[in-house]
Amino acid sequence: MHPDPRACLRRSISLGVLGLGTLLLAACAGQTSQQTTGDAAPPNFLPGEVVTQQGRLSADLYPIIFVIAVAVFLLVEGLIIYIAFRYRRRPTDRDLPTQTHGNNMLEIAWTIIPAVIVTGLFVLAMSVLFQIEARAADPDVEVDVTGFQWQWTFDYPEEDLSFTGAGVDGPEMVLPVGETVRIRLQAQDVIHSFYVPQFFFKRDVVPGRVNEFEVLVERPGTFGGQCAEFCGLAHSDMFFTVRAVPRAEYDTWVAAEQERANATPPPPASGPPPPSGGPPPSGGAPPAGTVVETATTPDAPLAFTQTALQVTAGASVTANYLNDSNLPHNIAFFQGPDPSAPRIAATEVMPGPGNQQSISFTAPSEPGSYYFHCDVHAQQMIGTFEVTP
Amino acid sequence: MATTAIPRRVAYPTARSRVYEWLTTTDHKKIGILYMTTAFTFFLLGGVMALLVRTELAVPGLQFVPQELYNQLFSMHAVTMIFLFVMPMFVGMGNYIVPIQVGAADMAFPRINALSYWMIPLGGASIMAAFAFGGSPIGWTMYAPLSATEPARGVDLLLMGLVLLGTSSILGAINFLATIFKLRAPGMTLMRMPMFVWVTLVTSVLLLFALPVLTSGLIMLFIDRNYGGGFFDPALGGNPILWQHVFWFFGHPEVYILILPAFGIVSEILPVFSRKPLFGYRAFVLATASIGALGFTVWAHHMFTTGAVYLPFFSFFTFLIAVPTGIKFFNWLATMWGGQLRFDTPMLYAVGFISLFLIGGLDGAFLAVVPFDFMVQDTYWVVSHIHYVLVAGSVFAIFAGIFYWFPKFFGALLNERLGKLQFWLLFIGTNVAFFPQHLLGLDGMIRRIADYAPNAGWTELNFLSTIGAFLIAASIVVFLWNLFITMRGPREAGDDPWDANTLEWATTSPPPPYNFEVLPPVRSERPLFDLKHGAVTAHGVARPAARGETHGEMREDAPEERLGEPVEGHEDQQGEPRGPAAEVSAEAPDATPVAGRGEPDVAQAQTEDRAKPTKPEEHS
Repeated sequence: MHPDPRACLRRSISLGVLGLGTLLLAACAGQTSQQTTGDAAPPNFLPGEVVTQQGRLSADLYPIIFVIAVAVFLLVEGLIIYIAFRYRRRPTDRDLPTQTHGNNMLEIAWTIIPAVIVTGLFVLAMSVLFQIEARAADPDVEVDVTGFQWQWTFDYPEEDLSFTGAGVDGPEMVLPVGETVRIRLQAQDVIHSFYVPQFFFKRDVVPGRVNEFEVLVERPGTFGGQCAEFCGLAHSDMFFTVRAVPRAEYDTWVAAEQERANATPPPPASGPPPPSGGPPPSGGAPPAGTVVETATTPDAPLAFTQTALQVTAGASVTANYLNDSNLPHNIAFFQGPDPSAPRIAATEVMPGPGNQQSISFTAPSEPGSYYFHCDVHAQQMIGTFEVTP
Repeated sequence: MATTAIPRRVAYPTARSRVYEWLTTTDHKKIGILYMTTAFTFFLLGGVMALLVRTELAVPGLQFVPQELYNQLFSMHAVTMIFLFVMPMFVGMGNYIVPIQVGAADMAFPRINALSYWMIPLGGASIMAAFAFGGSPIGWTMYAPLSATEPARGVDLLLMGLVLLGTSSILGAINFLATIFKLRAPGMTLMRMPMFVWVTLVTSVLLLFALPVLTSGLIMLFIDRNYGGGFFDPALGGNPILWQHVFWFFGHPEVYILILPAFGIVSEILPVFSRKPLFGYRAFVLATASIGALGFTVWAHHMFTTGAVYLPFFSFFTFLIAVPTGIKFFNWLATMWGGQLRFDTPMLYAVGFISLFLIGGLDGAFLAVVPFDFMVQDTYWVVSHIHYVLVAGSVFAIFAGIFYWFPKFFGALLNERLGKLQFWLLFIGTNVAFFPQHLLGLDGMIRRIADYAPNAGWTELNFLSTIGAFLIAASIVVFLWNLFITMRGPREAGDDPWDANTLEWATTSPPPPYNFEVLPPVRSERPLFDLKHGAVTAHGVARPAARGETHGEMREDAPEERLGEPVEGHEDQQGEPRGPAAEVSAEAPDATPVAGRGEPDVAQAQTEDRAKPTKPEEHS
């Protein structure tokens, strides 16, 4: 049956209102965010607060593009709605409508006008880009950022400081307010991305390449950052923070950190018990229960001290792992030469220092070379355990 | 004129096993249906993956899937939807419709056509098998070095599957180009082809140039993974950025491959349901060609944040590509303007497409602004953009095409009430699912994360987005029900249920094995319209335009067609004067003369024509 046009219209309007209402609900839920991380305001149609000079210039472009986009949106949607109602087929329509094939003047108009608009936007965007990409002759602070799976290291070459993050919070980069900071980005393994939303900026961290950018933070505060390029298993957890403080406080902080770095005694020679590697080399019938040990020390926080372990086929093994570093680690054993094999056993990922883990499992019955690694740092922390007959 | 309907029991003989017929067919119509059915199955699989992703993201905390599986799911969702759903679906529709629209009996290379199809389930099986081997948790973009070092064997299965699919696409592209260039009906010049054929032509050129680049990249990645290669490994002198260049040089034309057929479908539907010709046919052709060409110049706009590309060039061309797209928009609106619009389901989807693809397109304009891209690259802003252009764009157009051509494929119209219900569910669901993601991206929520902080303020919008995803799922359930009841019902759609313009509606539903008994004359881009409304006779005679009428698209340089009078200087090869062959009328006994030489009363013939019912009573 032919649908009643009035009912159709009523239905369309009510559904349209429902749809629009949903959008407005989402928008009204937002307010301009004035807070720093930790207690964020709901998202909004407009960007939140931007705290760097470069970011502010970038964010100031947004309202211009937004207004143009909304204008185009209202124009086109308005035309669609008008056309849908005005030119609906009516029962009185018998003859064909005028079969207009085209109009060259219109074609020229709606080619030229959009071309002018986008060219204008392009010029505007480029002028801002050149400003934010500008490099100072002599930056006040330099920080070298290294990204790796799944943590960050911040090095201050001039102040001789280095911070590597541990756990989900990641490291903290302290910067002086109102001064030019040059940040250099390098990657150890895969592509990451250094993203601070309140800087309105990100730059990729690419192996084999050094990326550089400069920021000038305009107000004190703590700003959250996150890796923004998918980099594997724990990509969601690769956070860091940037804390901007007045210059005086920055100097105090630098001094305190330098003192702390010097005061830390080097690990004593008789420190943690040296890890052993399985049954005694003198051979003979191996004991029924075998103990293997490995560790990670603060000097080499991304390595196992023992990467070659030995067990007997079919024996019940106890693996002891000491994580003495700041980074989250675990140890995971596999039933094959690489991690695509099924997993035999694994400990829980925990940061150190002083974190002793133990896990028991039955060694594979088939002699050969098997694989273990740290789940968090599966590229850097790998080893083999030999299964002897 | 009419083509004698061939009963289904004759067109699909039961003497041979149906299964064997379908497994060995080289008929473009059956291959088209195979493509579309396979593609839709993968759509359902990809949709389930999306629901799993969205369910996990609805609230903070990893409740549902562990990180490892989540990373596999979002990667595979994209691969499935792009390579196993949208591409084969459009190829399937093109396979069925393009040869008929150009008046050919089949594609140029039917057996290669079959081969191209069978590579799809094979490639798809390889890709899906990845889940049993650790999945492929590297994103559909497969950035090196992550993709080169990811130990899961599933990645290699993905690479091999994609190489197979790419080969299928390349073969299909060659087939379409040969068909379009060489097998058109007499009278169908390039500028009289239906717009769907035009977009298929340009899309095939894009496939031909882009897919080999992807295949090369995949092989390089395979070598890096398995044979100690160092294309993308800086330790061996390679460069990870090289992968991105190779991938996106394919990847950007790829997104035009995913949307140009959608533009074509919309351009088919709007004229029929507005009862007006497509406004600015020539402009459309030029705009399509421009989009195709410009599509190869913008690839590095996906790489603005790498610090490794020349930003002004790529930003400028990205802005520029908005212009031909805008031209299409305005021409569509002008097509509807002054028309007599009929909002059957295909038209609802076509208009829905225009209204929502606009949002996706405007998102892209934002992204062309490099400083803004620095903020929202790799955030949910991009996810929102992607899904507006692919769901509100390609998926809407796919459903428009399905509802439009379903009666041609199967002889039955899909249920209108269910179609309208599905449309509104999908329209609302799409907006509820993806509009909030703009705000999330602008607020700094990055993409490809299994979880987010509870105090980030993103919970409400993520929950809303998940509701939208389930609304979309509900709309698909409605569609499946519609499919089920329609296929069980009677097949009474007839040749031309929509009162349409192009050649596929001038034959039976479904068409006989070689598509046409007699080919209608083609003197414009709307051959069936001309036949029905008196601009041509069954004998190919053109009637000059009466006062107040426009026959703008009809060629003036074929004077021998006027009223069938022989014209000096236009004799045929035997030296005989051209004119309607007397024997034509004898061979088409059921051809209905509309108007022609010796028929004085054109207006009367037109009235008679309109009085004939050309479509059945509307289904409710």
